[in-house]
Amino acid sequence: MTRVRLASVLLGAGFGFLLSWGQFIDPDRIRDMLLLRDSYMWLMFASAVAVGFVGLRLLRRARARALLTGEPVSWTVARPERRHVTGAAIFGVGWAVSDVCPGPVAAQLGQGIWWSVPLFAGIALGIVMALRRQEQPARERKPLAALPASNPD
Amino acid sequence: MIEGLLDRPPWFVLGPLLGLVVVAAFALLNERVGVTGGFSDVVERVTGRRAALGWKAWFALGIVGGGALFLLLAGERTFSHGYGWLTRELTGPVAGLVLIGAGVAIGYGAKSSGGCTSGNGLGGCTTGSAASLTATATFMATAIAVSFAIKAVI
Repeated sequence: MTRVRLASVLLGAGFGFLLSWGQFIDPDRIRDMLLLRDSYMWLMFASAVAVGFVGLRLLRRARARALLTGEPVSWTVARPERRHVTGAAIFGVGWAVSDVCPGPVAAQLGQGIWWSVPLFAGIALGIVMALRRQEQPARERKPLAALPASNPD
Repeated sequence: MIEGLLDRPPWFVLGPLLGLVVVAAFALLNERVGVTGGFSDVVERVTGRRAALGWKAWFALGIVGGGALFLLLAGERTFSHGYGWLTRELTGPVAGLVLIGAGVAIGYGAKSSGGCTSGNGLGGCTTGSAASLTATATFMATAIAVSFAIKAVI
């Protein structure tokens, strides 16, 4: 478990370092990307996905096992649902307004860029709202599920 | 101080390196990277919804450390002029409120669509998940449209 945590922190540190080096954490760079004034971010993103896509398939083809957990390298894919469009659209609005997304906001915090704090607070609040929404149907179903137990006959 | 860090490396260096982080997460842990998931782990832990932090929370913590490490090695920040268009166009308190609102949209939207730019964009798209590809295309298109709308107004 400790090894898994250490590896996770190191992977994150590499990720945060690269996001910083690529100036992903500069809102004006993201703004230039989204206003289609700078091809760098698009090419970078596309090449990251391409390398990841090929790398994962090579691992799977080699029947590799994850070094620290021993699990065979595998993944499941999901079919698009309504929430993948509506949720992503809401995310896109927040991203365009702030020009910062969750990876960079964490790296900004590490650099002591304090404007990341209100954004962080908002993200945490948004996650709580999404969790509550996800829990809502379960809460509403609860009385129904409890009904047979309270009525043994 | 390593001066080369103050300039962006070529995209064909940085992009593949980020792709390798995605591959390494599978090679070491058989896990899909994602930052919102890490924040959510912390939120769920703090609100009593979960008993222990998952690997993603440690990954997110590592990103904070990676940012700090970069600053240490580069010697200075690569930007120090406020916070993009918000602090240029708005007063401090208003920019702060807008950032909280934008954060709510980011947190709520990413959590309900299964990931952010890293979780769906990098992690999901590399696995070839149709849901992640749909989400990524949607947030990219929305963000481009909203950015042009903002540019038209300010």
